[in-house]
Amino acid sequence: MKITGFRAESYLMKMDRLVGDANLPGGVEMLPGSILYLDTDLGLTGISLGYGGAAVEGLFGAIEGADPREVVALWIRMNDFLHKAGNEGAACAALSAIDMALWDLKAKVAGEPLWRTLGAKQGRVKAYASGLDYCLSDDELFAFYRRMAELGIRDGKLKVGLDLKADLRRLGIMREALSVASPKPGLMIDSNEYWSPKQAVRAIRRMERHFKLLWVEEPARRWDYHGLQKVRRQVAAKVASGENLHTLRDVYPLIANRAVDVLNVWTGQSGVTGLRQIAHMAHMHGIEVSMMNAQANYMAQVAAALPNHGMMEVVDPGREHCLRWDSRIEDGHIVLGDAPGFGIEVDEAKLRALQASPPVGRGKFPFPRREGAGLYIVPPAPGEVPWSGD
Amino acid sequence: MTGSPIRIASATVTRRAGCCVVMLATGDGMTGIGIGDVAVGAQAKKIATAMLVDADPRGVTGLWQQMSGTKPAAGGAKTHRRAIAMLDSALWDLKARVNGEPLWKTLGGARPRANAYASAAGRSRNVEELSAWFTRMARDHGLQGGKLRAGLRRECDREQLARMRDALARSASEPSLMIDAAQRWSARQAIGWVRAIEKEFDLTWVEGVSDKRDLRGLRRLSDAINAAVCIGAGFSAVADFHPHLLQRSADVIELDIGAMGITAALQVADAAYGLELPVTLAAVNGNIHAQVAGVMPNCMSIEIVDPVPPPWLASDVGIAGGRAIAGDLPGNGLRLEPA
Repeated sequence: MKITGFRAESYLMKMDRLVGDANLPGGVEMLPGSILYLDTDLGLTGISLGYGGAAVEGLFGAIEGADPREVVALWIRMNDFLHKAGNEGAACAALSAIDMALWDLKAKVAGEPLWRTLGAKQGRVKAYASGLDYCLSDDELFAFYRRMAELGIRDGKLKVGLDLKADLRRLGIMREALSVASPKPGLMIDSNEYWSPKQAVRAIRRMERHFKLLWVEEPARRWDYHGLQKVRRQVAAKVASGENLHTLRDVYPLIANRAVDVLNVWTGQSGVTGLRQIAHMAHMHGIEVSMMNAQANYMAQVAAALPNHGMMEVVDPGREHCLRWDSRIEDGHIVLGDAPGFGIEVDEAKLRALQASPPVGRGKFPFPRREGAGLYIVPPAPGEVPWSGD
Repeated sequence: MTGSPIRIASATVTRRAGCCVVMLATGDGMTGIGIGDVAVGAQAKKIATAMLVDADPRGVTGLWQQMSGTKPAAGGAKTHRRAIAMLDSALWDLKARVNGEPLWKTLGGARPRANAYASAAGRSRNVEELSAWFTRMARDHGLQGGKLRAGLRRECDREQLARMRDALARSASEPSLMIDAAQRWSARQAIGWVRAIEKEFDLTWVEGVSDKRDLRGLRRLSDAINAAVCIGAGFSAVADFHPHLLQRSADVIELDIGAMGITAALQVADAAYGLELPVTLAAVNGNIHAQVAGVMPNCMSIEIVDPVPPPWLASDVGIAGGRAIAGDLPGNGLRLEPA
């Protein structure tokens, strides 16, 4: 069995709602998507979803003609191929996309879902709700977490950082909404690196007078293990980080310096293979991992097989317009079906339609960094978010 | 411009009010101005005559390095370094004037809009006067943060902090509150004192904890309080900062251009940026620190003691809406009014 060719498609999609955080409180609704297809001589096609498909051209030579079932060896070959310039930036995104498509293929060859290929006992992953909700009104915030609670989800993560009084109010709203699923919902916050470590300490300790927090995410810059340690020493909550790191080498200083309690893992960490390396290293050090959100929650396939995986982020902003998928949320868990590979199929007609007439909407990824980040707080201007009117 | 020789023809030091002013003049009549403490005037004159006259002012970083390599004469190391700082500022002014552009542009910045806070550090401790002053700072200049001296009597601190917060609430829902302990505490004492204050007030930073060499004590303080520990006020040498960066004994680095000059401040700011440490710029005459703030990606704030310069000095930096904004005048924008 041989890899014979590839096709990379990109498109722009308008999600069903806005998503936002402290860096872009008004939110965005436009999502650039990409799909990588790896073709084989046996007619099977591997698919991966991500943001890095376009840079595949330069890396494809390293895997052309190879057997996709040898995916880990191919990961090593790609990583070695990138030796001098490094597995970084666009190259890392391409490596990640190829690796995921190879895993999809490997599972499809075996005729089984990827979670089984990776060795999981069951295709079931605990979920937590994450609204990416800075841009939601208080009512919309309640509605989102209540809808998640009605699916059995017991934990929620709120975007915070620009207005402590509002953060406290909205934590209360989230807790109330989740209370139908659990008498003691797990509450988390995410400031997306908007705070300096000391700003984080000040804000979190004030929150902790009123709320027990399960974890606080990115309370310092992604590489700043001193800052993360500082927050870890001074607050009761666990410290989480990692969603903006890309390799085991990036993550190593955080683990070696005991700077995090929870590592966020995601597709961009050099694919399934690279992500699994990170999770395994974290496991050895007693650190829990948490899978970042993904379209149609497809990364639950990987999370299901990680020994130290706690719960996976579910955002559900409606961004699967050209996809079909084989999973559902039930009793607070992502439950995966038996469709082979990632269980994702592309609705080619809808993809063509999106490409032919790209939708128009507010904002676009990536999120830039907001003024004042790490230095001084610039609160939302009146009208910048639905709740800053007065 | 690069091809034509530019030379400093003369260096003169004069006295204005409580300050000394150094003027470095080129042959074709351009003048760079630096302002410093009266005590450094003689030393500045000596260094300028020996090293700057006949030099090309555009090579300011090299000249700073050359001046910094000299041994202090009588008068002590601190006076020597402050004299160099004043000359360094005058050289930057001259370099920008030669370019015909404001200093912020010569440094590579866009027009600065530096986050500014009001500092009552040197003012009367009468609580009514303090309150009136912070009210003016919030109302007339939109300042959203304030700093005052603390550490003498707890009751007095609480009252002053409350009044400062209330005054600044005109311009910010959560004003930024800072205290300067003015060397009254050891690092150990500061823990109890600050924790008590933090039951009532959210402090942005604490500075002026007495012994700046007590690195371990400062680090323990930082771990024990919510507020950041700020060090650097009055530091005049790059080397003063080094142990604090190395030992992580401070959370905010204060750079005093008047004490260390612009060149050294730029260097330390970058070193702090590499460690994710924010910097803040101490107040200087005419608020020309605003000219520099824009090229420091980690500049969290600049200190304002006088939003309007004294009568003998005109500045191109204005304070409005909580920000220090520099204009388009060439150089550092300072002009001496006729005596």
